[in-house]
Amino acid sequence: MLRSLRIFRRVCIETLLGLRASGWSNWLVVSILAVALTIFGGVLQMTMTLKNLVNAWGNQIQISAYLPDSADPKAVAHEISRFSEVKQVEIVTKDVAWNEMQHTFKVASVDNPLPNTLHIKLSSPDQVEVLAPKLRLMSSIESIRYPLKVAKKINDFRHFLELAGLFVTAALSAATLTVIGNTIHLVIKARHKEIEILSLMGVGPFYIKCPFVFQGAVYGAMAALLATAVLLGIHLYIDPYVKDQLFSLAPALTQNLEYSLVPTSLLMCALGVVVGAGGSLWTSGRYIKL
Amino acid sequence: MIRLQNVCKNYGGSPALSNINLHIGLGEFAFLVGPSGAGKSTLMRLLYREEVPTSGNVLISGVNLNRLSKGQIPLLRRRLGIIFQDFKLLNSQTVFNNVAYVLRALGVDEREVNKRVSSALAVVGLEHKRDSYPTELSGGEQQRVGIARAIVNGPPVLLADEPTGNLDPATSLEIVQLLERISQRGTTVLISTHDQPIVNAMRRRVIALKGGELVADVDNGFYELEMA
Repeated sequence: MLRSLRIFRRVCIETLLGLRASGWSNWLVVSILAVALTIFGGVLQMTMTLKNLVNAWGNQIQISAYLPDSADPKAVAHEISRFSEVKQVEIVTKDVAWNEMQHTFKVASVDNPLPNTLHIKLSSPDQVEVLAPKLRLMSSIESIRYPLKVAKKINDFRHFLELAGLFVTAALSAATLTVIGNTIHLVIKARHKEIEILSLMGVGPFYIKCPFVFQGAVYGAMAALLATAVLLGIHLYIDPYVKDQLFSLAPALTQNLEYSLVPTSLLMCALGVVVGAGGSLWTSGRYIKL
Repeated sequence: MIRLQNVCKNYGGSPALSNINLHIGLGEFAFLVGPSGAGKSTLMRLLYREEVPTSGNVLISGVNLNRLSKGQIPLLRRRLGIIFQDFKLLNSQTVFNNVAYVLRALGVDEREVNKRVSSALAVVGLEHKRDSYPTELSGGEQQRVGIARAIVNGPPVLLADEPTGNLDPATSLEIVQLLERISQRGTTVLISTHDQPIVNAMRRRVIALKGGELVADVDNGFYELEMA
């Protein structure tokens, strides 16, 4: 156990020596990886926020059903409330609606043209497209209306963002792998004598290769830290503005809209370490022949 | 201790070693001689499992090196001390750290490292140079550091590949005499060389290779010109 700890300590020292030997190329690798991770993290933040927005929007979604004068609103409401997709049915009689309209718009005294209306709240936003056809089939309902298209467009945009983000992140990760590979290759070349001595004196491949893998992992962690700082800056300076704009449009949507930066940072760190360590492992496997 | 049985090694069809049979016992001191291209380095590389024979067996302490897995090679090398013609020292490290380098990599306790390195430096007579850097040392002193590093782990077998190749005759003799003293403590020493005056001055076992074949194996022998 103590022996393993001493070996681990030496591996860490070798890693630091490798980082010191790499000089400015450390920053080149870290900055390229940081750009990739910032894009990945930014896209993740946006898609998760949009997902929350769609959910918040979904919670506001209700189907308005307009009844013919011949239909009894209470009876229809009772019938609709038996559907499993329905959470609540609110009856707005034509008289109440007309009074509100007159009060708001000061319309002239004419015969009430408005229909009896039912506002149907759903148990889940996904159920809109299940319930709507059922309502359309009911003879006691003249027409229905619901704001599905907006939510669908937001969802489509989110899917597009996810795909584009994945593509850009993958392309940048591949570029980063190349840069990491070249940097580690240079370190291996600079330390070939030490590697040869260690190998011929009976030191195992773990000790010889590990410092390079650790160096790659350090690059990944540092890049994730940098990307988190960038995203935090964006979060602090841009979010309040976006929130203000959204609040003026739909006040209810701004609640619980934010997606925490913590899981994104952890994910960026994991991706950075995997890309960094993976790139180094591949390079050391290719260039260190033991 | 070292045994080769019908060992052949070919590179791309051309033979570097042909049907070599050899036994070197525990604590023996032997020279492996021959001109350039005779197969000395190939034989040495077979012994520290840098290469595997095309056919035949290479055994050290009864272990058949052909059957070693990749993971077992470091374990074999810990039981060998290897000395190189170009010393292979790290110029950025002190003499002490050069000798301690591998011990630390193997996770040896620092107190034990201190003890073993000091003892190895005492054997090669370089205790007073422990804080010097290789660039501050003469060629002979650098080779002594290489020897200290090779013996620091207490290996039963010491393989020296042209250890005097970069040294003047007087220093070469000192280095070979140092290796002989180490051998007298029970370590098997095999020195590959084409340095005729040194071999003839020592009058020890001489194993001669020529064109990849074993042409002579003589106790208290000379390195005769016809061998080359």
